[in-house]
Amino acid sequence: MPISDETLNRIIAEYGGFELSAEELELVKPELENYLTELQNLRDLDLSDVMSSRLLRAAEGAEADAG
Amino acid sequence: MPDNELLKLTISEIAPMIQAREVSPVDLTEAALAEAERRQPTLNSFITIMREQAMEQAEQAEDELSRGQYRGPLHGIPIGIKDNIATGGIKTTLGTRVLKDHVPDEDAEVVRRSKEAGAIILGKENLEEFAAGATSNNPHYGAVHNPWGLDHVPGGSSGGGGANVAAGVTFASLGTDLGGSVRLPGAFCGVVGLKQTFGRVSQRGLLVTSFNGDHIGPMTRSVRDSALVLQAIAGYDPLDPSTVPVPVDDYALVLERGIQGLTMGIPSNHYFDLLDPEVEASVRRAIAALEELGIASREVSLPSMEYVGALRFSAMADSVVTHEPYIASNREDYGPDTLYRTLAGQFVLGRDYSKAMKVQRIIKEEHARVLQGVDFLVTPTTPMPAPRIDAETIEVDGKRQKVRGPGSGHISRNTSPENATGFPAITVPCGFSELGLPIGLQFIGRPWEEGNLFRIANAYEGVSPSRGVWPDLG
Repeated sequence: MPISDETLNRIIAEYGGFELSAEELELVKPELENYLTELQNLRDLDLSDVMSSRLLRAAEGAEADAG
Repeated sequence: MPDNELLKLTISEIAPMIQAREVSPVDLTEAALAEAERRQPTLNSFITIMREQAMEQAEQAEDELSRGQYRGPLHGIPIGIKDNIATGGIKTTLGTRVLKDHVPDEDAEVVRRSKEAGAIILGKENLEEFAAGATSNNPHYGAVHNPWGLDHVPGGSSGGGGANVAAGVTFASLGTDLGGSVRLPGAFCGVVGLKQTFGRVSQRGLLVTSFNGDHIGPMTRSVRDSALVLQAIAGYDPLDPSTVPVPVDDYALVLERGIQGLTMGIPSNHYFDLLDPEVEASVRRAIAALEELGIASREVSLPSMEYVGALRFSAMADSVVTHEPYIASNREDYGPDTLYRTLAGQFVLGRDYSKAMKVQRIIKEEHARVLQGVDFLVTPTTPMPAPRIDAETIEVDGKRQKVRGPGSGHISRNTSPENATGFPAITVPCGFSELGLPIGLQFIGRPWEEGNLFRIANAYEGVSPSRGVWPDLG
């Protein structure tokens, strides 16, 4: 999911109130690329069953729910 | 005993001498201040040396002793405090120009407890800007230098504390650990670094941090000293909702227990991947030494660690919110590493943050399950010895890794998981690289079982090749 320099600068300006030069944008990108790589890594991971322990315990019955 | 030898003792060695009035807190503090001032041009480990306040505290400590009042093993002991932990009336900069004139009204809870235990605060220690990095190469206050190799980083972000403890300037330093920032300087500087269970120590007064996984912990010259400092600062703080009212063990008693019958887990994935060969060799030798001490070993698997990189999402998002009050008005005061790294966090979506929380959950559950079958995990603390200060990247196991700034994170790959699980972890020195740089061994335990980690680490410390070896600073 590439993000254009224009989009990068617009969103950064919304946050910080300043624009970055093309050179500065290049310095932001490694962190962003790591993020996008990790997102890709999560794509096939099924997280639908992962819930907080409270919800899992509630499903086991009223006694557990009270705990 | 000459001052330079007194300063090389551990807290557990010198405390009885103070109690018996063989060593004066005033003389000891004067010697430590002189050493701090002598080493500052070389190590750059302090942002503020608190000479006047330290001497006042020392005189009070001495006066109390003369009246027969002894507060305990930290009475009269000079320590350092990282400069992102609030000290009332004393500048607390967080290593940034943004807050260069910031003076808190009151002490952080850990500072209050340390003073209550009789410790003398020597000064505020240098760190990575906003404690966000692993090098302590600070763009505003200068780089901290590693006592074992002055051209090398001390680790970060609590690098000033690691350097001071290793060099014999402070007997202990309090650092903060959000991804390894106590354990990394511990490993790179050859000292003991503890990140206790999340909720064991109050974070009240730790400035500009994350809601997710920060810890204030000690760096010391021995495991026993680590236990002494934790004993003083641990415990429920009714004004910090992150603390948990779990009873604190008497660690001195726990340390006397043996280690026979314990089983260590050796992770078969993640923690031993992408390692410098010298680190792996030292850690494997340490594992063999632990087996010789009577600890059984078992290989364990942590498959969810494949997704550990997602834990960065929450740190990125937190950082954006944390810096929001400062960044628009103070952009020019930010160093480039912090600025550009922070800006990237603006792109983290809420749904991805939530996914990261679920990944955090499965990693935590997996660690908890594995730690039901073994008593603790043993891993390298860092994948490599301390990089050079001027290094932008380093090669580890054939792969080039960034050392600092946006896109970095390899240095903390073995420490940051325990910030997400909240489980306790301790690093102890386990030898040296060919260049003479320290290597760290990490033990990870079950929640609230710091005592077990202390007795295991204490047993290993007794046979470690690092024992009794000091950096040659001239």
